[in-house]
Amino acid sequence: MKSINLCLSERSGPGAFRLLVLTSLLLGPLLFPALSAAVNLSGDSRTYLQSRETAIDQNILGVYEYLDFAVQNVGNETISFHTGGWLRYDLRDEQFGRKSNNDLQYSYLSFRAATDNTVVNLGRVMVFEGVASERVDGVYARTDMAAGFGISAFAGNPVETNSDLSGNDLIYGGRIGHQGGDLYRIGVSALKVEKDSDDYREEQGVDLWLHPMNKVDITGRSSYNGVTKGWMEHAYALSLGPFDKVRLNTEASWINYDDYFFRATISAFALQPGLLTPHEGVRILGQDISYAATDKLYFTADYKNFNYDIAGNANYYGGKVNYAYSSVSGSGFSYHRMEGESDRLQYDEYRLYGYTKIDRTNLAVDVIDISYANAINGVDNSYSLSVAALYDLNEAWKMGADAEYSRNPDFDRDVRAFVKVLYRFGSKGGV
Amino acid sequence: MTKTSTKLLLSLVVPLLLFGMYACAHTTSMATVHPTEVPAFPVCSDCHTDSRAALNHTSDFSTTHKFYAVQNKQACTICHKESFCSDCHAHKEEIKPSDKYKDSVERALPHRGDYLNQHKIDGRVNPASCMKCHGRSNNERCRVCHK
Ligand code: HEC
Ligand code: HEC
Ligand code: HEC
Ligand code: HEC
Ligand code: HEC
Repeated sequence: MKSINLCLSERSGPGAFRLLVLTSLLLGPLLFPALSAAVNLSGDSRTYLQSRETAIDQNILGVYEYLDFAVQNVGNETISFHTGGWLRYDLRDEQFGRKSNNDLQYSYLSFRAATDNTVVNLGRVMVFEGVASERVDGVYARTDMAAGFGISAFAGNPVETNSDLSGNDLIYGGRIGHQGGDLYRIGVSALKVEKDSDDYREEQGVDLWLHPMNKVDITGRSSYNGVTKGWMEHAYALSLGPFDKVRLNTEASWINYDDYFFRATISAFALQPGLLTPHEGVRILGQDISYAATDKLYFTADYKNFNYDIAGNANYYGGKVNYAYSSVSGSGFSYHRMEGESDRLQYDEYRLYGYTKIDRTNLAVDVIDISYANAINGVDNSYSLSVAALYDLNEAWKMGADAEYSRNPDFDRDVRAFVKVLYRFGSKGGV
Repeated sequence: MTKTSTKLLLSLVVPLLLFGMYACAHTTSMATVHPTEVPAFPVCSDCHTDSRAALNHTSDFSTTHKFYAVQNKQACTICHKESFCSDCHAHKEEIKPSDKYKDSVERALPHRGDYLNQHKIDGRVNPASCMKCHGRSNNERCRVCHK
């Protein structure tokens, strides 16, 4: 297994490949339009300028460059290259103790066959397979097999932030799925992480999608923690519709804290009395119904019940109205109430938003207000107001600016401003 | 399920995968790009009557897309680039999705508005939903307060 690890690991420092990608991120926006004539290159460059305060009273003015691109159809469809990442430079106070920062979000070479949906990706890949939602420096492969079976596997170094543990780690796993025409899809999957050859994480799971008839779908996933030997989560949903005007969704989940909050790299998820309660469990039941009165007018009502083994009960319910004046303008209002047994879980939440397009400019306003039954830090109301504009220069270029003002128990006055320049190059788009 | 079952499953997966690649289904691979353009909140059922209709991007899709994604992510990549998912499923992100897309008021983006305050409430109500994105990645900002 080890031999197939690509050395993009965080801890192994910037390898040559990583450097290459980062350099191209810097030069990308300048170079690629010229290059894209030669090979089939497409992507997006997003430049952001963000001004905000942080929790520790810093004044931030950060410039970000996000670049992603794909090189495709080099002769045929078999091989392609996909990458994305960002760079940040601070013009005022430095964030996280660094004047600049960068991240390679994904970067892989992809081999794809014309039959059987056979795919092999090599590099930094995002794996979403059964129990796995992981970023991995390594290899991912999948293929369809005979009789409706399908199979996938991955292996490499886990890409995590700030895992305090040193040493070598290895992640691997896979999924075997079966598809019965349009009637069902079911899969069993597993993943394992070894740190210095110790079993660090081990998860197994079953995923399911039943489509017994049109407009009836049952989806879900159960995952089991092989180290703590307990079920982490069962999450299931039933959706009915869309019928003429109505759609119904039911959601149910069971979470066991001891098994779910395992090997987090941050103390916010540590199970400690006063923080997240050890041995806690929760059952969440949600129901929503949406009703399209006309093409333009939409109603949604929703209800969620949280039933804790230890902490008691909480109910969250409310509704939303949405009205579209035209295909480019509309507005919405929503109201939700949280009613829980603890003091903090008693509040009303309001949201009002509107959007429109005037000539080539998209405009949007958004107001969110939360009113607490019991004041927090002596403040019983928090609100935020934002206004945004986005101007479509042409197919390729867009630019926008927005500002948000908020007042809440933590900040008397929090102002954020944001400027963006978006540039799409090459042929094929995608969102 | 036990440790041995994981090992068994994994030792089955790899040879099967290799075998599968050489001797199999003979289905035609899915297109790399969806054949038609779709609007911002695509209603798949407008054009598809089979199970694809379940993927309508209605308001509940922000909680249910995970079920479809872990079974068949290829069906997502015909419309979405990886960078689309990375805005929310981040690694070392410093800008929250709702700050990047303030102009998309209709999108169901996590933590809109002020969140430093509200997160203490939401984080207590359903911490498992946060663990998915902040548990092992994207948590440098949290460290300032959650030592
Ligand atoms: C405007 C009409 C339209 C909408 C809306 C639409 N599709 Fe399609 N889609 C098509 C057509 C046409 C095809 C090609 C014929 C086919 O496979 O049915 C297609 C093909 C597909 C394929 C198969 C690609 C292949 O090569 O096998 C998938 C998967 C798919 N669509 C998923 C979706 C999903 C998911 C949505 C909603 C998010 C959606 N579509 C919305 C028209 C549409
Ligand atoms: C037929 C094309 C199509 C397919 C297939 C498709 N999507 Fe989408 N999806 C879209 C479009 C268009 C948007 C709107 C993007 C935007 O506004 O920037 C979107 C938005 C989303 C959003 C954001 C919703 C929000 O409110 O912010 C998520 C999450 C998402 N898709 C996940 C998926 C997943 C997971 C799959 C595969 C199971 C998938 N999509 C398949 C076209 C598609
Ligand atoms: C607008 C933000 C957003 C975007 C964009 C988005 N997701 Fe998600 N995703 C979420 C949220 C929120 C959850 C948690 C849902 C829940 O369980 O309540 C989630 C959960 C998931 C999970 C389950 C993770 C776990 O650990 O259990 C998977 C898998 C997933 N998304 C796949 C995708 C894929 C694939 C894409 C791109 C096609 C995508 N998502 C795009 C917001 C997003
Ligand atoms: C779909 C993924 C996703 C989910 C689910 C999610 N977050 Fe986040 N969150 C992000 C991203 C991406 C950022 C931006 C990174 C940053 O600011 O450090 C962020 C930022 C934050 C911030 C910083 C906000 C600010 O204004 O600085 C807090 C606090 C936070 N999340 C808490 C939570 C809590 C609590 C939950 C669960 C109720 C949660 N998040 C669920 C992806 C997610
Ligand atoms: C400005 C400081 C600050 C930052 C930054 C911060 N938190 Fe918190 N967080 C708190 C405080 C204070 C509490 C409340 C603890 C309590 O109730 O005693 C809290 C509570 C929580 C809880 C609920 C669990 C509990 O113990 O009550 C979660 C989950 C959580 N935070 C996750 C996050 C995540 C994830 C991030 C980063 C994306 C983050 N926090 C960033 C200060 C912060």
